[in-house]
Amino acid sequence: MKPIRKLFIANRAEIALRIVRTARRLGLATVVPWHAADCHGPALQQADQTVQLFGEPPVSAFLDIEGIVRAARDSGCDAIHPGYGFLSENAAFARAVTDAGLVFVGPGADVIERIGDKIRARRFAVEHGIPVTPAADEADDPAGFADRASAIGFPLLVKGAAGGGGKGLQIVREPARLAEAIAVARRESERYFGDGRLFAERFVERPRHIEVQVFGDSHGNVIHLGERECSIQRRFQKLIEETPAPNLDPQLRERICNAAVTLAKAAGYVNAGTVECIVSPQREFFFLEMNTRLQVEHPVTECVTGLDLVEWQLRVAAGEPLPLTQDQLRWHGHAIEARLLAEDADAGFVPDTGRVRLLRWAQGPGLRIDAGVTPGAPVTADFDSMLAKLVGHGATRELAISRLQQALHESVLLGVTVNGDYLARVLGHPAFARGETDTGFLERHREALCPAALGDAERRLLLAVAARALPEPAARPAPEPYAAMGAWRN
Amino acid sequence: MNSFQFDDGTRHRARHEPGSDRVRVGDAIVTVQADGPGRFVASVEGRSERLHAVADGDRVWVHWRGRAFALQRIDPTRAAGTAGAEAAGTAQAPMPGVVVSLQAAPGQAVAEGDALLVIESMKLQTTVCAALAGTVAELPFAVGQSFQRGAVLARVQPAEATR
Repeated sequence: MKPIRKLFIANRAEIALRIVRTARRLGLATVVPWHAADCHGPALQQADQTVQLFGEPPVSAFLDIEGIVRAARDSGCDAIHPGYGFLSENAAFARAVTDAGLVFVGPGADVIERIGDKIRARRFAVEHGIPVTPAADEADDPAGFADRASAIGFPLLVKGAAGGGGKGLQIVREPARLAEAIAVARRESERYFGDGRLFAERFVERPRHIEVQVFGDSHGNVIHLGERECSIQRRFQKLIEETPAPNLDPQLRERICNAAVTLAKAAGYVNAGTVECIVSPQREFFFLEMNTRLQVEHPVTECVTGLDLVEWQLRVAAGEPLPLTQDQLRWHGHAIEARLLAEDADAGFVPDTGRVRLLRWAQGPGLRIDAGVTPGAPVTADFDSMLAKLVGHGATRELAISRLQQALHESVLLGVTVNGDYLARVLGHPAFARGETDTGFLERHREALCPAALGDAERRLLLAVAARALPEPAARPAPEPYAAMGAWRN
Repeated sequence: MNSFQFDDGTRHRARHEPGSDRVRVGDAIVTVQADGPGRFVASVEGRSERLHAVADGDRVWVHWRGRAFALQRIDPTRAAGTAGAEAAGTAQAPMPGVVVSLQAAPGQAVAEGDALLVIESMKLQTTVCAALAGTVAELPFAVGQSFQRGAVLARVQPAEATR
């Protein structure tokens, strides 16, 4: 395989910047795309070159296989890193990249097809002795799908066969709601993945969501980098992730991690991947799906292993063997990530839009912040609502929690409603401190997670400062988007 | 004189005394010193707190101990409130977003709870339903069009009024 010299990053916001940083450290040139609706990304200021993409709605520019491959080739790149989301798990994209003579930083199209599709992946898991939940696949008999789904029993989940990230996923507790859930799941699945095929499975009550980071190379080696606990979710989307998983006994951890490696090996897996499982209160575990890409929450694994997963991805993509064997890996301490989203968590997690008017990130030991916004950046409904990831790291879980809470309190992002204080309240809940995490956590503790009412003295403080507030502070002017663009190397 | 409204609808007055660090809030005097761009130290009754704040049109954002508050600046010269003008059959956008599909057409008779259209904002799909029975008078946005928070997404003429 040929070495990679210039890397196209088919993504935006924090993950584009995170990939640029590693690529630059390894001596690779980088090209980052942008859309007119989104030209404040921090990666654009760091990349060696930027390329404008076109499309309406703006998200379509990042889903345009032909356009992205062309942009990568025209800018002289020899490899494409897809990041996460967008085209990262799209086999047709991976194939188009390699057909154009470029290196795809991820598994090959054949592997994505084998294991990235939930339905095929489940069959594959069953064949290799890995437990899965009872389920019904629409494709087996489309006309009888609703009946077969009902036969699994309620509650059950209906979701897109091609989906991920909780999109298009519906939980159905009674037969009367099934038809509507199928309609919504199909609509969302078609919209997000261009594929309306559905899948239903048993819904495990009070499950923990635990996933395993695996890595394979083109020499047949597959190892795991430990597990992550991702149970703190709202609407099936992760908000807080950590490693190691709290209160997970070592035997069960070993069984889950070994199952993940078995599955990845059987699939001929190459590059970074994540095997997602659910763990029931009875300590059963079921394979859920495999994500054939870098995860949003990969930084917690990087914190405790001391490794750079993007570096490994690039080395493996260039044909090198994995830098370490399973026995050489060491884990140190505990790391927790919180996703800062543009939404009003206290009003039912309603998304908000606006413009970043004031931005100050906390600093300190054991703290990592991967931010995708810059001062003056518009926050629109065109793209994902995640603005940044804050990660606390320390020798113990208590220290990691405490550092992350401090970071959430001390970071300031004004101009759009964000969930930072809500995240800090979750971290501060006694049940979270005890590690009593399952996917129903936020719903079960909803009342305790409400903000404290404001007293008169507190209102006075806020009002007094409001009376003296000025528009965007002059010391940090937000750059004019188009003026800034002229300064970019392109 | 400035009036500010909190999320919960309560309104308060706060007046910065020109040329000083003093702000009068109700009967109290709060000393507010600028401490860098967007940064303030507020002192009242011997207690000092660090806050961040920035003005954004009619909104003022204030950050205090990890919590952010969006206060609405009330212009007393402007007509108060549009709540009375909101017809019961008008569906307003709870958040900015884009129209995913239309489930009804202008002129169509609908029952209370019937789906009018499906909207989406940041991964969240919501079905907008008729709040009352009547005739669809208006669906101002086409599929794929985006809208701002508060935009009128649908108007239903109540059944009584169409007779």
